[in-house]
Amino acid sequence: MRVLDRKVLRDLWRMRINVVAIVLVLGCGVAILVMAVGMRGSLERTRLNYYAAYKMADLAVSLVRAPTSTANALAAIPGVSSVETRVSGLALLDLPGVREPASAHLVSLPRIGRPSVNDLSLAKGRWPDPDRADEVLVNEALATANGFQLGDELAATLHGQRHTLHIVGVANSPEFVFVTAPGEIFPQQDRFGVLWMGEEALARAYDLEGAFNNAVFRLSPEAVPERVKRAIDGVLAPYGSAGAYDRNRMPSDRFLTEELGQLATMAAFLPTFFIVIAAFLVNISLTRIIAAERSNIGLLKAFGYSDRTVAAHYAKGALLMAVGATAFGSVAGWLLGRMMASVYQEYYRFPRLEFEASAGVYASALGIAVACAIAGSLTAVIAAVRLAPAAALAPPPPTSFGSNSAMLRSFSSRLDAKSRIILRRIVRFPRRSATTVIGISLAIAVLVLAGTFPAVMDRLMHVNFTEANRQDVSLSFVDAREIGVVHPVMNLPGVILVEPGRADRVIVHHAGKSVEETLIGLLPDARLSRLVDARLEVVQPPVTGIALARALAEKLNASPGDLLEIEQTSGRRLITHARVATIVDPMVGASAYMEIDALARLMREPGRITSVNVRFDAAQYDRFNTAIKEAPALAGASFINLAERSMRENFDRGVGVMNFIYLSFASVMAGGVAFSAARITLAEQERDLATLRVLGFTRLEVSYVLVGELAALGLLAVVPGVIEGTLIGEWLMKLFSNDLYSFPYVFNAAGYAVAIGFALGCVATAAMLVRTGIDRLDMVGVLKARD
Amino acid sequence: MHVTENSGSPTGELTYALRKVCKRYGDGTAAVHALRDVDLEVKPAEMLVLLGPSGSGKSTLLNIMGGLDRATSGEVWFGNENLASMNDDALTQYRRKRVGFIFQFYNLIPSLTARENVELVNEIADDPLPAAEALELVGLGGRLDHFPAQLSGGEQQRVAVARAIAKRPAIMLCDEPTGALDVRTGVRVLEALVEVNQRFGSTMLLVTHNADVARLGDRVVRFLDGRIRSIEPNSRRAAPSDLEW
Repeated sequence: MRVLDRKVLRDLWRMRINVVAIVLVLGCGVAILVMAVGMRGSLERTRLNYYAAYKMADLAVSLVRAPTSTANALAAIPGVSSVETRVSGLALLDLPGVREPASAHLVSLPRIGRPSVNDLSLAKGRWPDPDRADEVLVNEALATANGFQLGDELAATLHGQRHTLHIVGVANSPEFVFVTAPGEIFPQQDRFGVLWMGEEALARAYDLEGAFNNAVFRLSPEAVPERVKRAIDGVLAPYGSAGAYDRNRMPSDRFLTEELGQLATMAAFLPTFFIVIAAFLVNISLTRIIAAERSNIGLLKAFGYSDRTVAAHYAKGALLMAVGATAFGSVAGWLLGRMMASVYQEYYRFPRLEFEASAGVYASALGIAVACAIAGSLTAVIAAVRLAPAAALAPPPPTSFGSNSAMLRSFSSRLDAKSRIILRRIVRFPRRSATTVIGISLAIAVLVLAGTFPAVMDRLMHVNFTEANRQDVSLSFVDAREIGVVHPVMNLPGVILVEPGRADRVIVHHAGKSVEETLIGLLPDARLSRLVDARLEVVQPPVTGIALARALAEKLNASPGDLLEIEQTSGRRLITHARVATIVDPMVGASAYMEIDALARLMREPGRITSVNVRFDAAQYDRFNTAIKEAPALAGASFINLAERSMRENFDRGVGVMNFIYLSFASVMAGGVAFSAARITLAEQERDLATLRVLGFTRLEVSYVLVGELAALGLLAVVPGVIEGTLIGEWLMKLFSNDLYSFPYVFNAAGYAVAIGFALGCVATAAMLVRTGIDRLDMVGVLKARD
Repeated sequence: MHVTENSGSPTGELTYALRKVCKRYGDGTAAVHALRDVDLEVKPAEMLVLLGPSGSGKSTLLNIMGGLDRATSGEVWFGNENLASMNDDALTQYRRKRVGFIFQFYNLIPSLTARENVELVNEIADDPLPAAEALELVGLGGRLDHFPAQLSGGEQQRVAVARAIAKRPAIMLCDEPTGALDVRTGVRVLEALVEVNQRFGSTMLLVTHNADVARLGDRVVRFLDGRIRSIEPNSRRAAPSDLEW
């Protein structure tokens, strides 16, 4: 090894604490990059592979009833590579040991072979025997959440009749990666599932023998989806078809796409954020370290080493740190990625979701880390090699503190000498002070963000579950019912209040754009289910016209007064028109809203409702549930307390992991900035501090000069940190808002306090650690040395 | 301030009384003896010059007498206090109240003006000389608000002298105060020191390797290899302007 290379290693060892700080901070940036980009890639790849391997449908259609023979006509449509006709429906489940009724989506399996579209991956057990009407497969999420074992029994009410079903297997399907009950936004894996059973048995249960009410299609590569959809609609029009649709209307895929969009936002934003900060810190530290190497640089040049060799010598140190940071960051990113993958695996039922970042991800991480380190050291190295050897060997001229403004002079004249030293150093080295302030402020900003997410979630939950949905349960019917159905519901045990509800799945067309959404009918002055906007105000449903959620209005490019075309997606596929009355800002969902009677009239079903919202006496909980488990006309029962609990658990787990990552990295950042600033400040001031000790100042008094500077910079970072955190938070909330949620920025005073406290705590800890250097100051040695 | 037992204080009318002071760095075969069995007595208001080649132990002795370092063995009496038995806090207080230091490389705080460098010490002194007066004494009355970077080496050293005298110290310890200066500026600094010695009656210990500078002292203590080789009185103290080096 060349002597210069040995010097690189020894220098790194000598500055090991600063080196560790740089490697950790830069490594955090790399880890976030590997995790976010890798996670996004893993999910994308897993989805693609899963869809390909298990033949995810390209198109789907629901209809009332078509004879099985129609399948041939569908298969013959040009562009269709395979078609699977199925029987599908909803059923109430009475799960053993569960007080409330659950519900499930039932899907038929072909008599022979496996489904040619939307195939299943069997996790456990075996396929149902086509000759046994009581054998079913259950989706893995429901089985896991309820602890089902093979051979367990389920009681299900299908089409008004109670059946006892036996679980023979547990399966996953690309069609149900993300399982939510129709019309629900939050998954409740223990309360809503998917059951697959033999086609004949299911057809019998739904009075569809020799017929089907659902079909899914795979298209050949050259197919034009719009043309195929029109052909399918043509074939199925006589059979009550609701119109063929593609993946973006299939609930599971739609959710996945939304999630991947958020992940893409995160993959773009977070690593950039952390890496910019890391580059920044590397720059501060390296500039100071190399500045301290001034005389060595002069010496090397005096010996005859070329500028290039000297520059390369210092660049090597930076490169080694970049390699170290990449190694650390890659391992940390991989571990975090695996952690994230296991969290995602609970939401998204892929047969196997493994975190895997491509070699390209690691390579770009290395490239970015190296670029960061080189950029960080560049200015300092160039400045050093430009000096003539003699100048570099001579001690640097004493720092001039001469040019202070009059205001500063008058302010500093009121301070004691020690505080004046602090103030003058901060003002004299504005760039250095600013970088420390910015570094700490960014750490505060990250912590503010970490505190914002839970606060936003709390607000969202509060609005949705306390302000908007004040019912205990929503009961939805298999089809629209006369309003009189509220009377038998009133007579259920413990019922206190019943209000009607109505929801229609529709496609809204405007200005050449079409969006499928739910059109929700609301009762004016409702006491249970209400529309509450982001400002927590109750919005009354318009009696004439439609209220559009802002996200929906933007998608449709619609404003108040515009005429919308509304197409029912089920039943008679009615096409009707209504004007936009107003734009609203709900926090959950991006639906359209009308007064309930107006909606029923618009759908030409006056006086008919699709659900009831119920408040009942908690003391009668079990009696109420027993009664509804038997109710034949119910398609589902959505319990607010369960939905809230489930959403809370999901958020806590998801947000919990993210916050853990945020918090760890913010601490590393705050600690790294503060620690390296403290160490370098000590090194720079060692002589002055030792002089103060010699002059008779106590350790405490001398510590004040060192700690005071850091404390002042830390305090200066508070305001910019809070502003940065707030602005980034508001911007992120806008980015993360989608069809499902509109995230308001919530000012969380406690979160801000924690962020500021934590960051300043890191600064204080770093200052205290470095302060011990004052106890070890070599008074004699320092005084012998030249400036 | 830490006060040691009064009985047995050997100083009497003396400022310092040193008994068998040894300073050893390291142990065993690697041990380096910087001072061996040094006995020395220093009288009040005396100007004592410690002379010797570098490495002879003179600065080590000055550091021990200034409370910056500790003797490995022996007694260092300052009045009736034994510096050798003082703890760290007591030594800090000793430096703070009694000792004025002047170093070869000035050791001013670069972020404070001349006046503020002096005020820095005044803030912790009991009855300090006003900073402007101290600077006036060393001939810097016109440069009160200059920062160290705006002053020449000689001026910086005179600020250091003003800083040392402002607390009206009982002792002034000067370690090669002219070591980094040319003759002309060096003479001005020495003039300031002599002035202080005569005007305030401070006991002054001046470390130098320059035999000519030694002519300033009442007595000259010659060092070699960690031992005092001789202590000689000067029959007549030279004036700084008579010196050459």
